Amino acid sequence: MTQRESNVGGASASSTVQQQLAEQAQRSRSRALRANLSAYGFLAPAGVLVILFFFIPMIIVILMSMTNLATANFTTDISRWEFVGLQNFQTMFSDQFAQKIFFNSVFYVLITLAFFNVGLALVVSLLTTHIDRRAGFFFRALWILPRITTATIYILMWRRIAAEAPQGIINQINQLLGQPTINYLNAYPWEFVILVNGFVGVSFGMIIFTSAIESIPKDLMNASLVDGSTIMQRIRYVTLPLLRWPLLFVVTYQTLSLLTSFEQILLLTDGGPGLYRTEVWALTAYHRALSNYFGNAQWGYGSAFAVMLVLVGVVLAVIYMRVFRFNELVSDPKIEVL
Amino acid sequence: MMKPRLSGLLVIVFLLTAVFGAAQAQDTVPITVRCIANVAGGEGWRCDNFAEVEAQVEEELGIDIELTLVQDNKSWGDYKNEFVLATEAGEAPDIVLSGHEDIGAWAAAGFIMPLDDLIAQHEEFEDIVPALWESQMYQGEIYGIPQDAEARPVFYSKLLLSDLGWSDEEIESLPDRVAAGEFTFQDLIDTAQQAIDEGVVEPGNGFWHRPSLGPDFLYYYYGQGGQIMTDAGEIMVDREALLRVYELLGGMTESGVMRSDLIGIDWSSEWHPSVASAEQVLFAASGTWNWADWAINYVADRGGNDYLLENIGLTLIPAMETGEPLTVTHPLSYLVSSGSDNPDVAMALIAAVTTPEANNRHAIDSFHLGILQSQVDSPEYAENEVLSNAHYMLDYAKSLPNHPGWNAWSNAYWLGIQAVEAGDATPEEAVDIMVTQLQNELPEVVVQ
Repeated sequence: MTQRESNVGGASASSTVQQQLAEQAQRSRSRALRANLSAYGFLAPAGVLVILFFFIPMIIVILMSMTNLATANFTTDISRWEFVGLQNFQTMFSDQFAQKIFFNSVFYVLITLAFFNVGLALVVSLLTTHIDRRAGFFFRALWILPRITTATIYILMWRRIAAEAPQGIINQINQLLGQPTINYLNAYPWEFVILVNGFVGVSFGMIIFTSAIESIPKDLMNASLVDGSTIMQRIRYVTLPLLRWPLLFVVTYQTLSLLTSFEQILLLTDGGPGLYRTEVWALTAYHRALSNYFGNAQWGYGSAFAVMLVLVGVVLAVIYMRVFRFNELVSDPKIEVL
Repeated sequence: MMKPRLSGLLVIVFLLTAVFGAAQAQDTVPITVRCIANVAGGEGWRCDNFAEVEAQVEEELGIDIELTLVQDNKSWGDYKNEFVLATEAGEAPDIVLSGHEDIGAWAAAGFIMPLDDLIAQHEEFEDIVPALWESQMYQGEIYGIPQDAEARPVFYSKLLLSDLGWSDEEIESLPDRVAAGEFTFQDLIDTAQQAIDEGVVEPGNGFWHRPSLGPDFLYYYYGQGGQIMTDAGEIMVDREALLRVYELLGGMTESGVMRSDLIGIDWSSEWHPSVASAEQVLFAASGTWNWADWAINYVADRGGNDYLLENIGLTLIPAMETGEPLTVTHPLSYLVSSGSDNPDVAMALIAAVTTPEANNRHAIDSFHLGILQSQVDSPEYAENEVLSNAHYMLDYAKSLPNHPGWNAWSNAYWLGIQAVEAGDATPEEAVDIMVTQLQNELPEVVVQ
């Protein structure tokens, strides 16, 4: 009896355990569901924005790139668009200047990114975090000025700096020094395009890198100090390795940003002088689709240029994620797993 | 509780208000006019003239017009896109002022309406200079009413020609000698070269064209014997004429008569001050409307119009290959949106501003040429020395084609000009660049 009872009790205990396990699993599932729902809830606003302002426009642009839509047959009614397959892409690839414009874009993005948006941003961050805090703040604030100045005002200032004598500031100095005057925008268009964009681009990386540097735990720095490291060694072996994630973010974001930016170039050189000397891909898309002195904008053809930008951007983003091992960067920290 | 008498009174008042309100609403016609205008340069009458004639048209038609005038001086590309997008959104203005060359694309797209029937109802339009109607046509129908015209002449500095040793008589007779074909474009280049050699002007300042794309550049092509349209109405390019254009422009930059970095310099801080002062540039090609802008905004402190009359003259573009002097006119036109609910009222308003009185206000303040035959004889117009002396240029004027392919044509042509002037290509290479670009984008183009 006792045994039976005991058996019954064992069976009962086992069943209770199973029930408890089942309830626990159920609770765990509902907790997970609630957690997932919360996560989706928090992601939803951003998700809706991305769908509304990226995916849907991207699909429209892709569709438009396969039409002959121009001013002469313009309509927003998609059912009335005249689809021409890949003809715009064929025209684009057979354009005698497509290659030049493509390599202009590569040159512009690489140089601006390397020397300013990442390079100088890193230097400014390191310098301003290793000097007096208030002085560091002051210099960072100065570097933000180009970013917060309206593009047209900013370019007007640059144009005035580079203009011919007697208007140009550099040329006024040249005249004072008895030097010949130069039409700088014509003689050095790339230098000015990169400087103008680079000065704007520094601030973004600078803010990200500065906050990352300041959030490095003090004990790591103290440990390296105890080990007798120099300031350069601390930057090389402590700071920089801990900046991999912000570096990935800044490089990726700024590459895509530079690829699609053209307003400063439009206002400064408009792609000139001469034969597309500073014309970049995004500016060509704008010129074709949206800006024509004599009207008859080529919306379909311009969209083909824009689609190429999207493709290049996606490919570059994937490559960056592989190179910087994005999955490792976002995985759970090993210290907490242990 | 309301007294019956009072409530009855209120009902009557309500009914009367409703009846008269409805009657008034029925007769109120909203009309929106969109203009592009450099108001500071005297072009505000393009839209403001409608306000001047509003009451007159209201009286004629027995209606109340609710007139909305919108004008600014935004870039042409943005301005034209705005109309296209507004049309698609069902918000197009009833009347839009734009370059006649838009007729090709906008008529084809159905954005603007043919006006032949409505034109026949207003005798004011019979006064328009007959030569201007051609630029308003698309496929045999009239789509626009000319608002203004202009000549794009060569301005010459009397001051610098005098420094070069020209007598007053030689300077004053220059327009006549150009018109007679005696002083050719080659003579202009030779004179500019001489001015540079003798130190009268700096190298590069012998001749300036405008620093950005515009209709002006077409007179080199026309002057070198080129055609843009075949007799069958197809768009075409003439390689030989094109080569002569690029040789001419490339030659001027190579010899130093013209700056090789002229394209891209700033209009307001460099181009206008240098030309308007008459002290730096010997010959400069631009438009008659610049005169008003210079007088008001660039040499006002030196005497404005009087300073310009004393020191600057204007003449036709001297003869090139064809042996004929010429100019290009780019009439702006009032176009009526196909979405307008009241095209009759819109046309009545346009007719009312197509009079010597109204158009003189615009022509005289902005230095655009008159578009009416009777305008030339009006005292106000005749008294304006620049306009009355330039009006003959309309007889030598050519205009842009109204063809949807014109934009691609002009962009490819401009590409060649940029290349050859910057030294990025020889004239022969520039021809190949232009033709290849055009054939890629406009495969149907006829190349001769």
